[in-house]
Order: sequence, then C-alpha cells, then structure tokens
Amino acid sequence: MPLDTDAPPRPTLRRPVLRTLRLGFVPLTDAAPLLVAQELGLFDAVGLRVALTAEPSWAALRDKLAFGALDAAHMLGPMPIALAAGLTGVKAQVTVAAGLGANGNTITISNALVQELGRLARPLGAASFAALVRRRAAQGRRPLTLAVVFPFSSHNYLLRHWLAEGGLDPDRDLRLTVVPPPMVAQRLADGAIDGFCAGEPWGSHAAALGAGRIALSTGDIWPNHPEKVLAFAADYATRDPESATACTAAVIAAARWLDEPANQAEAVNILRRRAFPRLDRAEIAAAFEGMAEGLPLDAPLRFHNATLPRREQAAWFLRQMRRWGHVPAAVSDSAALAPWRQDIWRAAAARLHEAEPPAPSPPPSSPLGDSPEHA
Amino acid sequence: MLRVLLVDSDPDRAAEVEAGLAATGCTVVAIAAGTEELTRHVRDTGAEVIVCGLDDPSRDELEGMRALHRDEPRPVVLFTEKAEPEQIEAALAAGVSAYVVEGMAPARVRPVIEVAIRRFRAHQALREELAEARQGLEDRKLVDRAKALLMQRHRLTEPEAYKRLRRMAMDRGLRIAAMAGLVLDKN
Repeated sequence: MPLDTDAPPRPTLRRPVLRTLRLGFVPLTDAAPLLVAQELGLFDAVGLRVALTAEPSWAALRDKLAFGALDAAHMLGPMPIALAAGLTGVKAQVTVAAGLGANGNTITISNALVQELGRLARPLGAASFAALVRRRAAQGRRPLTLAVVFPFSSHNYLLRHWLAEGGLDPDRDLRLTVVPPPMVAQRLADGAIDGFCAGEPWGSHAAALGAGRIALSTGDIWPNHPEKVLAFAADYATRDPESATACTAAVIAAARWLDEPANQAEAVNILRRRAFPRLDRAEIAAAFEGMAEGLPLDAPLRFHNATLPRREQAAWFLRQMRRWGHVPAAVSDSAALAPWRQDIWRAAAARLHEAEPPAPSPPPSSPLGDSPEHA
Repeated sequence: MLRVLLVDSDPDRAAEVEAGLAATGCTVVAIAAGTEELTRHVRDTGAEVIVCGLDDPSRDELEGMRALHRDEPRPVVLFTEKAEPEQIEAALAAGVSAYVVEGMAPARVRPVIEVAIRRFRAHQALREELAEARQGLEDRKLVDRAKALLMQRHRLTEPEAYKRLRRMAMDRGLRIAAMAGLVLDKN
C-alpha cells in the first residue's frame, strides 16, 4: 500500500467503540507512537477509545500494569523480563506486542569530565573513558557516579556493556545510581552525578542548559538496538485479542507516520503539547532530526522498522541481566522471554498491509561471550 | 517504634500520612521531598522502612537503591489514595505493598508495614543466594586459571593439575578457590 505522507494511514474501522483501553506512558520522546496515535485519531480509526495517561515513574507504571490499573503501557525492554522473573518482588506475565522504537538515548557527561578528558570526540570511546576512570583512581579521587533511569533498562545494560568494553567493572570502579529522567539535567548541574544515560529529550535538555555534553548515544553501542516496547497486562491480550490487535495496528501506523521526514514538525508539536510543555522546541526536535548538539547521530531514534517484537533481540538484554547477576540461574530463558510474541503484531500488520521490517543489526558481542563474570 | 522515612513531594499530604503513621506507633524520622539524594538521606536518618506514595516521582530512585546498590537497602511500603479495594488485593498478590491511607483505620496500617518488611527480608535472602551463586562462578574462574597455570608450568593434564591444587589446599587448610588465588598471586 503506497504511503500518503499528508494524511496518516488509517486502519479500517472494524467495529463501534466498545470500551476504554487504559494506556500508560512515561514522558519521553520514544512515547511518540502512542501520543501520535491518539492525536492523529488512529486509535479512533480502529474503534478503540484510549485513556492515555502520563505516569510519574517506571515503577508506578509497572505496578499499575501488574495489578490491573492499566491495560497496556510503554515499557523499557528489560522490564517484561524483570516482571516475568519477579525481580523486584513484583511478578507478572505481560505480553510484548510491538516495539516502540530503536535507539534514542544519550550518554551525557558533566563539563568537568569533558575538561578532564581534554577533548570530546563523539562518540566517546570506551577506552578513553576507562582511562579517565583509572587515572582518577590512581590519584585517589572519588569514583564517578553515573545515573541510569531504571535498574532494568536498556540504559543500564548498554551503559554497562560500554563500560566493560573499556575494561571497567561497573559495580566496582564506578557508582551506578537511578535518577528519574526529568531530574537528570539538574542533578548533573548540581554535581550530584557525573553523567547519565537517559532517553531524549533529556540529554539535549542538559546540553542546552549548559549542564554537560552529549558524549555518545546508545545507538553508538548497539546500532538500532530495540528500545521501548508496547506491553499488555497479563490477561488482556487473551481476554480481548481484538482490542490488543487494534491498538497494535494503530501504533504501527503511528510509527510509520513518524519516520516520514515531512511529519517531523508536527510530531514535535504533539510531543511538546502532550509531554514537554516546558522545554524548548529545539530540545524536543533534536531526536526526531537525528541530531545531538547540532551534529548528526549515526544511529538516530527511529520507529517504523522497530515495531516487530523480536525475542532474539530481547535475549541480548537477558544475557546482560545474567552477566551482571541480576537474574537467578533458576529462571529459564524461555520463561524470561515468554512475553515476546509476534502473533499480535502479525495480525495487526496484516490489517495495514505492513511488510515485515528488514532484519535488524546484530547485538554487540562481548569478549567473554556475555557469560556471568563477577560477584 | 519503627523508624520510618516518608518520601512525599506534597507537604500537605505528607503531614496527613505522618499523623496516620504516628497513630500506628511508627516514628517518622524524616520527610523527604524526593528532590534530594535519597541514598544519603536513608543512611543519615537510620530509617528502617521507607513509606512512599505509589505515584511519587522518587519511586524509580528507591528501586535503584534496592537493585543497584549493595549498601543496606530498606523495605519500601507504598501508599495510594485512590485505589479500588480489588486493585489493592491484586497489588498485594503481585508483591506490591500498597495501602490506602485516607480512610484506612490506623490499626490496619501497621500490619501492612510489617508484611512489607517480612516480604523484603525474604527477597533479601533470595538476593544473598544470588550473590553466593555469583561468588561460586568467580571461584570457579580462579580455579580454572590456577589449573591452567599449573598445567603449563608442570606439564600436567587438567585432572592432575586439579588434584595438585586440591592437595595444596588441603595441606594448608584452605578452600580450593583461596588456594587458587594464592597460586595466581605468587606467580
């Protein structure tokens, strides 16, 4: 089906509006497919009424999905694994029906660190950063503190992978902490953290405030890595497969619309209105333009080719979780990855005449084969 | 008296929750607005348990303290003002400790906190098992490296190297991993 860029593709109306689907998101640029689907009327077009709510934290969003206060949510890729394994005491089996995007996070470091490095060549190499950490240790200075947005996040595992690539032990040579995305720029400016890995627009925001510089993006670590997912509550996909499929179709249509360059300006308007009313337009636009601090990124935030949920890609996150001792050995791969299903995506894609996206780039390999490597 | 750190970005609600907690025999040692660094705050106040709103923006930071730091994490009890009873049941079943403060009898608050603490301890035990499993892996790696060194140095087969390492450990009354560490350190 040829894509008309002036009007969003409208999945065919299948039935009158029946019920409201409660959908949660955390205000980040990569929630765009959900916000766009609602603002462009794509949910209406598939006969779904959606109550889209901004959630204040990943923990709150997860709990609400686990105990039935939400039907579906924008989720960090490793979260369904953590939920299946009951890693923070909360156990639930969610269904990953679609990917919401690829890439889109930055690693931003303080001005003081940039100064210590001497020169910041983006993407910053793991070896240069590791050398800086070792130099500081040799001088007897305090270890650096880096923030990620949630323990079970692509941010945490991609950052750890990058640190380990430089020969650092992220649990011994540095201090990793969690800071909610809207607070990272302020904490960096205050000196409470030395850097962070967070989704856009927060890296661009910190840079615009002069709090730090973008050193690399997570796409520099694993080009086109899967980022957020669309997850349905435990029994939702089996109880109401029609709504799950319709919702997924609207999200695929939104992702397709988002990757059309002609739609960028409107996408920025929607995000600003719905998620970031206090930020400058340019800070929000950067991710959509594939830029960071005015320079193009090699692997920018993309939506359209990332919608098919791929278990083999999620398996990389599971391997990292095992590597760092975050998942007990008793949890099998099949149980941890069971949330990833392609049947809903395929049913939704068929309605849109959507072709299967090209195979993504393979995940980065680690010298030790991702085997568990330390206590 | 249970020492509680209350995390709430809304000062009015915090005062109400504090009164509710005091009525159940808890001492609120500090109220954090969630904008300061929580790890330090928890350490400084000596809190035994953290009470936080389900929708407070600090929740991910609290999760991070539990998952990323090895420094004495504390149980976290959540409160929510507007959950339906069946949602609270489901939350408790899923492992979330949530309770309604508004309109909840003080007598019911304390048991919820106690359940949360028990659950937390059980979870901590699980984490310690994990840490032990990790230590086992680390030990095995040490032993493998020491074996490789002995094999190379004394032209031994793998089982011979292992036997020698085991004998050295027994002679000195050491665990085999500790002996492996010594062998590697000396060479």
